[in-house]
Order: sequence, then structure tokens, then C-alpha cells
Amino acid sequence: MSKPDIIVIGGGVIGSSITYYLSKMGKRVLMIERRDNCSGSAGASDGVVGYHTKKPGLQMELAIQSIAMFDDLSQELGMDVEYRKNCGGMQPAETELEWKILSDIVKEQRKSGVDIYMISMKEACKIEPQLNPDLYGALYSPTSGKVNPLKLTFAYIRAAKRLGAEVLYNTEVTKVLVKMNRVMGVETTKGTYYADQIIDAAGSWAAEVAAMAGEDLPIRPRKGQLFITEPLGHFMDVTLQCARYNVIKFKPEAVGDKAVLRMGASLSIEQLKEGGLIIGSTREFAGFDRENTLEAMEATMKRAVRFFPALRDVNIIRAFAGLRPFTPDGLPILGESEKVPGFFVAAGHEGDGIALAPITGKLMAQLVTEGKTSYPLDAFSPARFRKLSEGSIE
Amino acid sequence: MRQIETDIAVIGAGPAGLSAAYQAAAAGAKVTLIDENKRPGGQLFKQIHKFFGSREHHAGVRGYLIGEELLTQVKESGADVMLDSLVYGLLPDKSVGVIHEGLNYSVKAKKIIIASGAKENYMAFPGSTLPGVMGAGAAQTMINVNRVLPGKRILMVGSGNVGLIVSYQLMQAGAEVVALVEGAPKIGGYGVHAGKLRRAGVPIYVSHTIKQVYGKEEVEGVQIAALDEHWNMIEGTEQDFDVDTVCLAVGLNPMTELAWMVGCKFDYIPAFGGHVPLHDRNMETTVKGVYVAGDITGVEEASSAMEEGNMAGVAAAESLGYLSHEEAAVKKEQIQNRLNVLRSGVFGERRKSSKEKQLADMESYQKGEMTR
Repeated sequence: MSKPDIIVIGGGVIGSSITYYLSKMGKRVLMIERRDNCSGSAGASDGVVGYHTKKPGLQMELAIQSIAMFDDLSQELGMDVEYRKNCGGMQPAETELEWKILSDIVKEQRKSGVDIYMISMKEACKIEPQLNPDLYGALYSPTSGKVNPLKLTFAYIRAAKRLGAEVLYNTEVTKVLVKMNRVMGVETTKGTYYADQIIDAAGSWAAEVAAMAGEDLPIRPRKGQLFITEPLGHFMDVTLQCARYNVIKFKPEAVGDKAVLRMGASLSIEQLKEGGLIIGSTREFAGFDRENTLEAMEATMKRAVRFFPALRDVNIIRAFAGLRPFTPDGLPILGESEKVPGFFVAAGHEGDGIALAPITGKLMAQLVTEGKTSYPLDAFSPARFRKLSEGSIE
Repeated sequence: MRQIETDIAVIGAGPAGLSAAYQAAAAGAKVTLIDENKRPGGQLFKQIHKFFGSREHHAGVRGYLIGEELLTQVKESGADVMLDSLVYGLLPDKSVGVIHEGLNYSVKAKKIIIASGAKENYMAFPGSTLPGVMGAGAAQTMINVNRVLPGKRILMVGSGNVGLIVSYQLMQAGAEVVALVEGAPKIGGYGVHAGKLRRAGVPIYVSHTIKQVYGKEEVEGVQIAALDEHWNMIEGTEQDFDVDTVCLAVGLNPMTELAWMVGCKFDYIPAFGGHVPLHDRNMETTVKGVYVAGDITGVEEASSAMEEGNMAGVAAAESLGYLSHEEAAVKKEQIQNRLNVLRSGVFGERRKSSKEKQLADMESYQKGEMTR
């Protein structure tokens, strides 16, 4: 490829989506990936495409637009991404307190017009008969869905390649070239590449890339451990999290147990198309470490059996961990650097990158090519942390 | 989760693990020996035949008697033995995840010795999933440990020592072995074992394989066919046998999952059954403090597994200061000499050169790490 219009750094779900939408707009895109597509967080994720796990307000607004885009995605990309619309999302609460916290969150979420409500355990067990009836009640989101995150990422990148995008694999960016305060290109382990616009979509590693351009990003890796069971027959339809999931995500101060808070251990479970269950997860700050721990495995399995007693006799066949790109305010960072024009950031989606990938790709492509977007991204700009940067990012 | 702290955790209580536990505990280390079965010994207790080799390799002694002797030694050495305990995880910080009677344990050790053994290879052919098709090792466990006859009329596939010995033991247990089938043009195992079968009148078909097994709910018969020099079946050479059981003795492969999990580097050595972890002469892998012994390092037999276990046990005890370097050096030299004898001669040559390759690859890996 002669000089591309845009270089995208990172071959995860966000980078692949952006590369696709840019290519669709006729831009010449070069993606640079340190290892392979899905070798980071996109390859270690569940596939929740739900409203109920989204923070009320801006993140929810973004999610609504993104989820609408999933409807035609398999057709548009020419590959089945295993999207299951309306499989439903559920969060059973164990106590009255959890129920109250969830109810408050639901009230806020409903302001965006999404169909989320609280149901009794009797109703919950009618929807998911394997569920333990000895729980307090549940949040239910009938229009939430799920997708295969690996297929989603590969569908985006393959479609982008058909439109002319190129990808350099096993290539690590070692330097971002800046001249007269504008990006010029990147130096990599396989040579120097020039482009006037560069997008940092390196997920949990985005802060390291941004630092090469002189931009500070408060993105930190947050580890999540996941476990896969042997394939089962039909077991469940919804994507299910325990109430603690939303409580840890939106109201961590309400969690009393210190060990729970340190590991961020809550249950997230769904059945894959092949029959296995994917069970998670933790939210741990452990640097870039991606090891499983016996402690987290036990905590997660105990919760899985608490909610689905039949799982006590099911074998776990695989365990792994991924890193979510955490930001202090729980919102992704989407926008152009003020310090270094031409350097864009699209990262920091924490656990919502899969669901938010389509809208992120679409809006970033608009921003880079037209300088404006169909939905305002001001609240997501990298500059919003400038005031914070003197203090602690916690 | 219950925590157990120990100096050396040995995973697997077969010949290698028992030997390793004995050596380390006898030297004074706190040893925890873990095995998923309800009784220790691994495959030793089903080996009712007499072992070969020299006197120091227990020549002329039957396998299960060697096992009993080893068990007594381990008990006297003071090692803790955790039975009915499944190891489900091994982490880089050397903690071992163990399930025992439904409870979860974390065994935190300074050194780990993995002696997980090997598992039987399988063969796919039409009918291979019918009840009555089984590994020869499984059949051997049934007759020699559980005292249950797996079938009355049996066809054995594979003429290595396992296929030959198990065929003979099935006959001793009262079954009829109607034929032994071998894909290669000649018998793989020792002549002395093959001779016993020949004298008993068992036909041995070399350059033959199974074409299909048939039956409704279970094995009712088997069809074999001859192979040409490219191992393709020759049409028109099919023969049918009326059998109720088909045993497969088509090799073993090392049980390496725990070594992969903890991050060991591997070699691929077909003569050893596939992927095997790199290790040095102390049996230490590329992950410091993690040792391997027995069939996981490459499928051989019980005698060499015991010597590798001895080596790993001595080396691990030495590294923790329970043996002086001088004491350890004397022991290691004796063990190495016995290993060399086991890997000599016509039958040992291939294993000897394979082990040398594995050790050489370990050395070049270590050199690469140092210059990095």
C-alpha cells in the first residue's frame, strides 16, 4: 500500500469496526496489530449485547444506537456473527438491598426509553427454568441480545479487507512520529509507516500507545477471569449476571465484603452456540497480568452453582483471563487529541466494547473523515480528564 | 478454600511420583503426594508380569510387588499422601488447585514435581464408539485390579509390549484372544512376550488393520484388512472375526496439561508419544522449580519412570538444602548410570537418542534465555 489515509493501531473489536466503517467511506486504512485479531480483550470476552448492563445516561444512549446496528450486521458484513436478538438479559438479586439498588438503577435506565423492569423469582424461573428459585427477584431486559465476539471482530476485519484495508500482523508500534505538533506516522518493529491521521484503538494498551504521542490517558487494564464448561444441551437463553454485577459496576460503595470488592467477583453467564457456558467474572486491577487464580475460580464457580444448582455436576474445560480497558468515569474515550492534532483515541470501553463496537466504529469514522459526528462525542473526549490529571485517577 | 503449605508437591502417585516423594521425604523435605485415584501405584498394581533388566531394576520381580515395596518406603519416609484428590490447576506461583471429597484445596509448594503419566491413544474406525471397544490398559485394569473379564472373545490391535502382555493376561484370565493385529510389517514388542502368544496358538496378523467393527448395541464382530507398503487397505483382503471385545494397544501419549498450564516449553518427539516438556538432567523444566518425571517426559516404562522420579526427588530436595551438593551428586550419578543402562541396547537406542535431543533442546533454550 502506498501512503494510507489513516493508520489504526489495534486489531481488536474496536479497531476492526473503525477500519471497516472507514473503508466503507472510501478511505485507505492500514491496521497495525501487535499480535493477531482478537488476541487481546476481544478474544477473552462474553458476548452480552444488552441494555441492562449499561450505565444510565450517556453510555446507555450510545448503547441504544449501537444495538440497533446489530440487526443487519451479519448481512452487511457477509458473515454470521451469531447475533441473537431478544434472547433477553436478566440479573437476579439475592437480597432486598440488592433489589432496591437495582430498582433505582432501572429507574434511571428507563429514562432512555429502554424496556427494563423488575420481576418476581416465579416469573424469572418461568423464563429460565434452571435458575435457583431461592433468590429475591430479578431485573429483566427482554430486548437484550448476545453475539459471538470473535466472529464479530473477524467479520468486521474481513469485510474491511474486501474493501481494500490492509493489516500488518505481529507488528508492534514503537514510536508515534510527531512533527510541528501533528502526527506524521508510526515507527514499528517492521518499518516506518506514514499517515496524517492515526487512531489509537489499542484497548487496555491504549495509554501506552498514547504516551508515545505525548498524550496522557487514564486507561488501566482491569482483569476479568472467564471459565468455559463442556458443551451442554439447551440450558439457558438469557445472558445472566448476578445483581452484584451492576452494583459493583455502578455503585461499588454499596458492596460490604472487602474480598468481593478486591476481586470484583460477580457472576456473568451465558450459553454459547456450541453449547458450552461462558462463566465469569472478576474485575481486578493486577497490571497486565493475565493469569487465572484459584481464589477467583472458586468464587466464580460458587456463584454459578448458587444461581444454577444444576451446574455442580458440569465440568469446566478451559479457563483464561482478559483485560478490560478501564476509565475512571466508566465511559469510553472517543475523540481527537487536543495536544496532537491528527491523533485520535477510541478506547476505554471497559466491559462494553463488544456491544458498543458498531457505534464506535461508525462515529469515529465520521469524526476522522468529516470532522463531525451524527451523535455528539464531546462528553467522551480525551480532554475531559485534563482537570483530573493533577489528582489521582481513582 | 483450604490452604496446605508444603516444601514439595508431587502430582501423581505412580512409579515416578512414588519414587520422587520417597527420595525427597527421605532427605527430610516436607512432601505432599497427590493422586486422583483411591489407591496409589498408578499402573504398577495391574502389572502382574515380571520386570526385566538387572537386579537394581527389580528384574524378575512382578510389577505389583515393586509397587507395594515403594509404597512401604514412601509411608516410612513420612510423605503426606492425598488420595482421591484431583489436581485441576497448576499456577505459575506454584499453587496447586485440588478437589478432595468435594472440597477445594490450594496446595502451595516451593517445588512441584509433575508425574502425571500418560494416557492411551485411540483409533477411529467405523464402529469405534461401540461399547466393547476399549483401550488395552483399561482391559488390563479390569482383569488384574477389578477382576472383571471385559469379554469372552477378544481381538487385540497393536503388537507392542502392552498389546502382547495384555493379550496373554486376558488369556490367563479366561478369555479367548482370537487374533492380534499389527499395522507395521513386524511385531513391535519383545520376542519373549510374542513367543508366549505364538505357543498358545494366537494368530498374529502383521501389516493388517481394523476396517470396521459392527454390532447393534455392542461389538458383535470385527473386520480386518491387509495393508500395502503405503499403509493403505488392500481391497479383497477383508477377514471377519466373531468377537465381543476389541482392545486397542496403539501407544500412549504423555499427560502434559499441567505442564502446559504452568508455562513449560515443549519439544515434539514422536518416539516419546508427542509433545513433551523440555527438562534438564535434574528433571527441572523451563519453569524454575517445576520438575517432571515418568511418562510425562516421554513415554517409556515403569523402570525408567522410577529412576526419573528418584532424580527429580533428589534434585528438588537438594535445591531446598535438604541434601548437600556432594550427597546429591553421588545419588544423581548412581541414578543416571541406571537410567543409561535402561536406555541401552537395541530396544533402548531410539529412546536414548530421543532423550538426548530433549536435553540438548533444553540446553539451547537456556542459552537463548541467558543471552536475551
